[in-house]
Amino acid sequence: MSEKEALFSKKNKKLITDPLDSNNPVTVQVLGICSALAITVQLKPAIVMAISTLFVLSVANVVISLMRKLIPSRIRIIVMLVVIATLVILVDQILKAYVYDVSKELSVFVGLIITNCIIMGRLEAFGMANGPWKSFLDGLGNSFGYAWILIAVAFFRELLGSGTLYGYPVLEEIGLYNLGYENNGMMILPPMALITVGIIIWIQRVKNKDLVESK
Amino acid sequence: MQDLANIFIKSIFIDNMVFAYFLGMCSYLAVSKTVKTSIGLGLAVVFVLGITVPVNYLLENYVLKEGALIWIGEEFKNVDLAFLSFIMFIAVIASMVQLVEMIVEKFSPTLYSSLGIFLPLIAVNCAILGASLFMKENDYASITEATVFGLGSGVGWFLAIVGIAAIREKIRYSNVPPALRGLGITFIITGLMGIAFMSFMGIKLDANNKIDNSLELYEDSSKEVNIDNNNINQKEENLQ
Amino acid sequence: MDVNKNSYTFGFAAIMVIVVAVILSGTSIILKDAQYSNVELEKKQNILRSVGVNVNRDQAAIEYPVYIKEELVLNHLGEIINNLSAFDVDLSKEVKKSIVEDDENIPLEERTSLLPLYISEVEGETKYIIPLRGKGLWGPIWGFISFNADLNTVFAAVFDHKAETPGLGAEINTSLFQNVFQGKTIFEKGEFVSIFVQKGGSNGDIHKVDGISGGTITSDGVTDMLNERLKRYLPYFRLMEDNREKNQEEEIRLTIEAVNIDEKRDSISNIGKREID
Repeated sequence: MSEKEALFSKKNKKLITDPLDSNNPVTVQVLGICSALAITVQLKPAIVMAISTLFVLSVANVVISLMRKLIPSRIRIIVMLVVIATLVILVDQILKAYVYDVSKELSVFVGLIITNCIIMGRLEAFGMANGPWKSFLDGLGNSFGYAWILIAVAFFRELLGSGTLYGYPVLEEIGLYNLGYENNGMMILPPMALITVGIIIWIQRVKNKDLVESK
Repeated sequence: MQDLANIFIKSIFIDNMVFAYFLGMCSYLAVSKTVKTSIGLGLAVVFVLGITVPVNYLLENYVLKEGALIWIGEEFKNVDLAFLSFIMFIAVIASMVQLVEMIVEKFSPTLYSSLGIFLPLIAVNCAILGASLFMKENDYASITEATVFGLGSGVGWFLAIVGIAAIREKIRYSNVPPALRGLGITFIITGLMGIAFMSFMGIKLDANNKIDNSLELYEDSSKEVNIDNNNINQKEENLQ
Repeated sequence: MDVNKNSYTFGFAAIMVIVVAVILSGTSIILKDAQYSNVELEKKQNILRSVGVNVNRDQAAIEYPVYIKEELVLNHLGEIINNLSAFDVDLSKEVKKSIVEDDENIPLEERTSLLPLYISEVEGETKYIIPLRGKGLWGPIWGFISFNADLNTVFAAVFDHKAETPGLGAEINTSLFQNVFQGKTIFEKGEFVSIFVQKGGSNGDIHKVDGISGGTITSDGVTDMLNERLKRYLPYFRLMEDNREKNQEEEIRLTIEAVNIDEKRDSISNIGKREID
């Protein structure tokens, strides 16, 4: 029998800090790319997506972790998907009834959250094999790692592509247009999101030599 | 035949899942380290798509969409289960993937371990779900068209992942900065290939053959009015 | 208990299906009314927005009957169908109906498509509101477009979507995209040309508006939606134009009669005058 670990023991803290850098879901585990491309045209939807993923990933991880000893191996993928989908639909329905405006923002993302590889990936890699508290922390950590990448990419795409930040016309205010700057339409398109993430990976690996791939 | 060839070519090159719609990126980027594993995953995707798209087509047209259940009986004419499409498609895909996982584990354990987590991740591969959702939007006339679309999408994805894997293998001998090696440069190359593929966006293969009935009706009714217009003009002249 | 035995697997799957079904349908039933009233209020809010009346959702219920005077349903010939209200028409079903009226293979109720039309009065002027529904990139798009009494010039337009990409196709529900529709016309020298969402910019063309960069497919969806929906109302536009022409013609006739009477009166009085001279 394993001894009882402190709630915030060193190992548990690592579950939250690792995904921020050395085990980042997007730049290291290569999960959640599709949404990183689609959602990051503007800051606002990126933040909404980050918060929704935080909720769904943590709760789903806990639910699967609680059920993990009961799930037959042969149907485990389907079970995980059903848990994720049910959770997302439940959230969407409740929002639609009581906070209609928020649900309108979210309805676009419902499909994207259900098929977000991060959620499925973490459920399979961690939730199925660990206890509920650890799974919860793992969900939190990965959501934070995902969120900061989303926000970083969205920051540059919205700023350079539309000249705004969270809808606020920043470039106009500081007079950059007068110097001849024009909104870079390419930034709005998905390929530039890929290149932006590529650059983030570059910077990350310069700082963290462990991640550099050997020849 | 012409239609089927059109759909096939269109779904491989013009509506390419990876470069036009940027779906299925996670597995595409993670598994493309070697050509061998890419071929394995690519074939798995073609297989899954070739089966799930037609199965979902049958599901959509005979169970889910409005009036689909009419073959059970007249009373079911107005039953509309379309809201279940999303979750039913996912269920079909997840079952197929579970099947594929068991087959791969049995027949090629090396492939199974090198694919790792990305084999079960085919279930949430946005390209697979996306193909079924596009099939639903495109409203194909027959299951053959839907199957051709599914296979074409799969082949498009296959070509994309094998292509990038080949590039990655070759690029190992180039002077890529250490921090950019591997994943970083792959992202950038894919971005550049995506920009290149945008040149395909303007090509239209299908001619719009649908007969425009409402416009005909409008023209008919306007003809009647023109005759009356002449009468009115005459009357006005009389008055003057 | 062996978790991997077949009987257990089936049992687990069955129980899971039942639990999920109960949770989802239970939630759906409990929340249905609250959701429906939200959707209804939003529809009223959008109809009001399409004639420039901007209220929040709670006020929409109060302001709606103030501005919206009639909720008509037309058939494909532009004639009013009695006892039907535009608000109850489900456009998502109507757009799927073909209007091949003589196709005997289609049952009668499905041949005639219902065309909802709202007539409103804003600041003393009559506006005609036509509901729209079409296809975007990832899902349906819809909206309302209102016309001045000439049934040609656009007064305002409102669009919305379910699943378009944020920052790209989703921009159709911003005032930036919608405001430029005002003043555009759909007829060119009597011919119906609809309104084009033009990729690359409208260049001031009175039948075009600027497209959304990066959102071409959604923009094309708006173009197709406008074209497809508006052309169904052309028989009604024609009928309204006929009425207008007949009214004008009647006015001309009455004016000419009045002039003739005046002339006669003048000539009679002149006769009198000449005799005196």
